[in-house]
Order: sequence, then structure tokens, then C-alpha cells
Amino acid sequence: MSTLITILYYLMVGYFAACFIWNFRKSRNWQQEVLYLLVLLPFLLRLFRLK
Amino acid sequence: MKDAIQLRKLILTAGFILLFLLSGLDFYHSRHLKEPVVVGEGIAEVKRLSDYFPGIKGSINDAQVYLLRNDQAEVEGGSALILGGSHAEEPAGRLATWVIVENAKVTAGRVFVILTANPSASTATRLGGAYPPDYTIETPWGERKFRQGDRWSNPLDQWPDPEVYIHYPSRQQLAYMDIRNQNRTWPGRRSGTMTEQTCYAMTQMIIKEKIDLVIDLHEAELQYPVISTIVAHPKGEDLAALASMMISAEEDFDIGVEYSPEALRGLSHREIGDHTPAIPLLLETPEPFLDATRGRTDRELLLTGKDDFVMKAGKHGLLFEKLDESGWPIDVRVGRHLSSLIQIFRVWTELYPERQIKIENVPHYSEVIATGTGFYLKDPSKAPAERIFYE
Amino acid sequence: MSPTLSAIIILIVMVLAYVLAKVFKVSTELSLFLAAVAGALVGGYGLPVRHLAEGAITYLDICLIFLTATLFMNLLKAAGGVAFAVRSILKKFHGQKFILFLLLVLLLLIPGALTGAGSVTVLITGSLVAVVLKYTGLSDLRVAAIIFLIAGLSAAAPPVSLWAMLTAAGINMPYVGFFLPLLLPCLIGSLLTIFILGWKAKPVNLEKALEEIPSPPEKMSWWRLLLPFLVFLALVIAGRVFPFNFPILGLPLIFALSAGVTVASSPVKINVWKTSLQTAEQLLPLVGTLTCVGILVQIMTLTGVRGLISVSVVTLPVAAVIASLFLTLPFSEAVLMWGAAPVLGVPLALLFNTRGLDPVVALAGMSLIWPLGDALPPTAIIGRLTVDTVGVKENYSKFLKACLVPAIIIALMGTLMVIFSKKLSFLTIF
Repeated sequence: MSTLITILYYLMVGYFAACFIWNFRKSRNWQQEVLYLLVLLPFLLRLFRLK
Repeated sequence: MKDAIQLRKLILTAGFILLFLLSGLDFYHSRHLKEPVVVGEGIAEVKRLSDYFPGIKGSINDAQVYLLRNDQAEVEGGSALILGGSHAEEPAGRLATWVIVENAKVTAGRVFVILTANPSASTATRLGGAYPPDYTIETPWGERKFRQGDRWSNPLDQWPDPEVYIHYPSRQQLAYMDIRNQNRTWPGRRSGTMTEQTCYAMTQMIIKEKIDLVIDLHEAELQYPVISTIVAHPKGEDLAALASMMISAEEDFDIGVEYSPEALRGLSHREIGDHTPAIPLLLETPEPFLDATRGRTDRELLLTGKDDFVMKAGKHGLLFEKLDESGWPIDVRVGRHLSSLIQIFRVWTELYPERQIKIENVPHYSEVIATGTGFYLKDPSKAPAERIFYE
Repeated sequence: MSPTLSAIIILIVMVLAYVLAKVFKVSTELSLFLAAVAGALVGGYGLPVRHLAEGAITYLDICLIFLTATLFMNLLKAAGGVAFAVRSILKKFHGQKFILFLLLVLLLLIPGALTGAGSVTVLITGSLVAVVLKYTGLSDLRVAAIIFLIAGLSAAAPPVSLWAMLTAAGINMPYVGFFLPLLLPCLIGSLLTIFILGWKAKPVNLEKALEEIPSPPEKMSWWRLLLPFLVFLALVIAGRVFPFNFPILGLPLIFALSAGVTVASSPVKINVWKTSLQTAEQLLPLVGTLTCVGILVQIMTLTGVRGLISVSVVTLPVAAVIASLFLTLPFSEAVLMWGAAPVLGVPLALLFNTRGLDPVVALAGMSLIWPLGDALPPTAIIGRLTVDTVGVKENYSKFLKACLVPAIIIALMGTLMVIFSKKLSFLTIF
């Protein structure tokens, strides 16, 4: 059960990372773009099991 | 205009990928840094925690258990367990166990040694703590590199945390992240989280191997009142008090004695005593690197224990241990742990001759200070392959 | 160069970088990031990618709580649940101010008390309560002040008070005995806040109000509205009552499951992907601040600036430390958010402990004052979130002014708790 829950967390992280990437593509404001990438960093580090 | 935006996004994305790859590779390398152990002649066997609780097999926390035993010994004696790396960010405990496993011999009884009681915690560094990923110890033949580690298990091995951690079996509420703190999850839980299962496996080991004495090696910040002391379960009050006296009389330092409070749950010095026949003791040495008022956080501070800001706090009476220009070098801290262990075993043998534990070839405090910790670490490149293990 | 001088220079450079970035109209989040990068550069670390990334991930779990909780609320709004609830509460209690206020305080306290996050209160029940309060004739500023202050107290309220927990963990003290020392002042503070700021409230003109609130979908009902909350509550309670038999779900998954129930029980079809994208956009400043504050704390620790600040504070005379808590705690919160607990809370708690104060009550008192800083720049996260949620049009400084009187009372209560902690230690029974 705990493995399943952990997998759900990785899915959640992946889902929100996808949201940030999508919004980054649509954004037209450089500050917002930089912030999307900064926010994305921890999500991808966790998703790829690096940190 | 549209092209300019696309170009900007391309450049930003390239910068992001670079940051991601560089940091990611750094984290990957420090998580997978292998620490060699050249086991000495005194080691009769190397087991794993899963030998006592199969539920932990395959997990990163299936820690190696090094057994010091002398098959030619005339007396069977008692058994002890020494834990290093319950909190991986406290290096003196880990290094002391390294010195023991690579050098010590027993002439009576058995000594089980775990160098990294929470292997998962040794693969991460504290978020926001700015820890260095590793540190090196100079030896006569070169350097040995060790992972720095954290207080808590790596979230890559145990995720998520609950919104509040309820300790088993006391139901005491603790901070949520302490469900990954191995010195808050004793006596452990069979169906619990990885950290709880690690403690459960060690509890099973203590029971199955009829271990009499457990010594958990730690370090503490100087602003923490429990420091430079032996914390003893009520069952071990006499042992700790006598050992403290012996240390003061025979070694070049003093160590106090504190008694394990009943209200503080999940700690080794409380739960092992309550849930197994063994007597648990916990040893603390000072580690200024852990203080909240510390200055620059780097390898130098970790290994020398010199810090102006912590010293300033001391001048205002905020520390529970002295700190001067000489700091708290790693050799002093490792030496204190080793001498404390030697004296505890001596007192134990005097108090319980029928369960005696005699250990030799372990350097005393003064010897470690004179020669350095690295003097007692063996060169893996010159050791036969069957004597090399990796943590 | 002495460590003190070096840390002072790095701190000055960080502050200058922050101010310069603000002058060039860079957002608060990115200004914090730039301050951190400047600190690392002048500290001689170059661009320490490991530390930047490690700092960035510090508050990942809290970001996940915000994202899932807000998604849950946004889905509920899209389903018509919020409009339905507001209409129902107004219809029942529009004439009874006292009962209405008591209910609203409870509604505001519960989410933050359970999650430890004031922003969750603002997002989950804050928007709903704001609509009700506005119809009592209170100005947007007063409504925002009520919601912000009670949201802050809800975060400090038991069972989950992150400041108390993080500080207690930092000094290896069990998180025990905090329930009453946190609950009583939070309740008193919340009631004082709503009655002080809301004393001018008038009975609601029901007809007019109902005309203005959008009508929910026809099939919306109490069970459709309450089911996701019941699921949330059931999962949290199950984790507490059966901690050894119930799997550890964690707050993000509990919120995500509640969001799933909201979608399943919605009378109208909801575009979940679109709502998720809106949520990510809406929360970008909040999640961005948390990420950048994490980076800033990491670099401050790396360079010794954190140590400089901590040691400077704790070596002041105790009386001065206590007398200045109303400034230092909110200010540290404004800069570091929860990072203030390990940076400042830990040395303060140890200082109080060594000076013979009761650490539990003193820490509970401090936990009361900390959330006030959530309205202050540079981060002002919860303050900004509240102002946005309520839809305040006036200048932000006017919002701060509206908060002032109850904030002073709360800070005073917290300070008195620290001073008289020993006498109040009878409260630490569980």
C-alpha cells in the first residue's frame, strides 16, 4: 500500500510539473517564465529521483 | 516579436537544463558514493538486518552488521551492539565504529557493530542546511571519503510524511518529519515505514542475539543541554555512573550521566530498555557544525569544530559545553567515543563477569589525538578483496 | 577577514541586490533569488548549483499541499459548491450576528489548524467567509484583515503548528503539551479579531445579497458539497485514530482525493486540466516564493549570514529579546517564512530554556506572533493571497493598517505568554 501511495506522489509531482511546463510555454512575461523554471526544478529533481 | 520570445524561452530552457543536469548529477554521485570498510581480523561474520527481519530485504536500510567474535575464546561472555550513524550527520559516531570494525578484536563475548544504522539518511544532506555532500579523513596512505548524511531518512526512500507523526506504541505526537528520524522510531514497527522497520529489525536482532548492552553513538549541538554525556536507561544507571567515573579517572576528559526521561518517546535509550532485555546507553559528543548559530557551513567546520559565532553564543552563556579557539576537532570527538566504549565494556565486565565483554586493539582518546583518526583506517587498495565491504 | 565582517559584507550585498532588483521592478520572488545568487558570488562560492537546487526543493512538500488544496477549492468552486454554501449560510443566519461570527471563526480555524498552513484557510474557507462578511456591510479591507489574522491564528492552532513543531524538533523536544497553550490564545485572538473588526457589521440584506451571489447548478445539494470535506475529514481523522493500521496518506494526497470526490460528485462537468493550469498560474507567486526562500535560506546558511543573524539576536539581553519579539518574529517570518523557526526559533527557545522559562508555553506564545509576519514584505505571501482572494482594490498598506489593532493584541498575548510561561506551565497537560 505504501508503495502505491508513493507512486501516486510521483504521479502528482509529474502532473504539476506538466502544468508548469504548459504554462511556461504559454507565458509571454520573462519574469514569469524564469519563475516557472525555478519552480519546476524541485519537481523534476524529485520526479527523476535525484533529490 | 514572436521569434524573440521563442528565442528567450530557448535560452532560458537551455540554462534550466544545465542547472538541472549539474545539480542532479551532483546529488546522484553523492547518494551513490561508496565507502569502503576494510574489516579487521576480529570480524568473524558480516550479516544484514534482513537476517533478523526479512521484511527489510531489498531496502536501502538493510544495513550491514559486523560481528566481532573470537571462536577460540575460553569464556562465552555477553553480547553488545554498537550503533553508528543513527543520525548520519554526526560523523564521530560513524568514524568510531569504522575504527572498531577495522581494528578491534574481542577476547570474550561478542560485539555487533552497525556503521550506518540508517543508511538512507547517509545518502542525503539536510534541506536548507547547506551541508557539504562529503568529507575526507587524512590517513598515512592517502584519503578516505565519507558521505556527510542527514538526521532524517532520505525522502527518496520514504515518502510521504504524515501530517503529524504518532509514535508506536506510545501514541505520542511528534513533528511530522521525525517519522524519518531513526532516534524517534524505536522500538520500531513491523508493518511501519522504512525507518520504523529498520528499528524493528534492530529490536529483533537485539532479542534474537540475546544482546545485553546497546551503545548508540551520537553528536549534539552545543546549545543542546544533553551533551558530552552518557544517556542511560534506568536499567543502566549504575553502569553509566561507574563508566563516567572511570573515564574521568583514566582518560583525559570528563563525561556526564543523564537519565532517559520517560516522557521522551522513540529514542534508543528509552525504548530499547523498555522493549528488550538489553540495557541501552547513548553517547553524545559536541559537534558545533550542528548549532543553529554556526557561521560558514563547510567541511572545515565539520572536521575542526571551530566557529566564531557559536563561540560568541558561548560567551553569553548559551552553550552547554565549552567552545574555545581550539574548537572540537573530529579526532577529539572520535577519541571520546572510543575511550567511552572501552571504559563501558570494562565496567560492564566488572559488574557482570558471567556476561563479560572484552575488547582490545581499540585506540584510546589520547592515542587518537596523537595520531589522528585516519591512522586507524586501512588502505582498501592493499587489502584482500574478501575483507572489503562497502557502506 | 573575520567571520563576522565577512558575513556582514555578504549580508549587505544580499540586501543591496534585493533592493536593486526591486528598483528595476523585478518581482519579489526573483529578487529573493537574485539576493541569494549575489550572496553566493560574494561569499566566494561562484554559482553553487548543488546548493541552489537543494534550497529550491526545501519546501517541495508544502508546495504540494498548496497546489492540491487550491486545486480542490477551485474544483469545488467550478462545481458551484461555494456559491451554494454562501447562499445557504446567509439564508439561515443572516439576522444573528453573534452566531454567524462564531460559525465563521470555526470555519476559518479548522483548515489551518489541521494543516498548519494559514494559506489553506484562506483558500479553502477564506473566500467563502469573505463573501458572507462582505454582505454584513464590512469594507473589503476589514474583511481581508479578519480573514488574514484568523488564518494566521489557525496555522498556529493545534494540532498542527509548524513553527512549534519545527522549533521543537530543532531542540529535540517532543511536540507534546502544546495543545492548550496554542488552542486557548488562538481561540481568544480569533474571537477578539472578528468582534473588533466586525463590530460595525449590520444584519445582512438577504434579498439584495442573494441577488448578487451567482446561483449554483440546480442539482447542487448539501451532500454534494459536504462529501469531499467529509472524505477529507475522515481521512485525516482515520490517520489520527488508527495511526498503526491506516496507511500514511500525507496532506497532498488527502487533498487530491478530496478533489477527486469533488469532480465525481459535481452536478456539472468540470474541465480538470484547465482548472489545474489555472491553479498552477494562480499559485505561481506563492510556490515561487517558497522555492526562492528555500534557496535564500540555503545560501544564508552556507555563507554564515544565517549564523550572524541568529547569534546577533540571541546574544541581546533577554529582556530586550522578549520586548522585541513583536518585531523580530514577524520580520523573520516575512523573510524566511517557516524557515524562521529553525533559524530564529531554535536559538530563542534554547535561550529561554537556559533562562528558566517554560519552553513549551514560550514557544506557543512565539507561534502566535510569527504568523503576523505573513502580511509583511518582502514575501507577504498570505497577506497577498488574502487580499487577492477577498478582491481588495485599495493599496496594500491600507490592508496592513486594518490589521493593526488586533495584531497588536495578538502580539501582546504572545509576549505575555513568553514572560509568564512558567506560571502558565499548568496548561501543558497534553
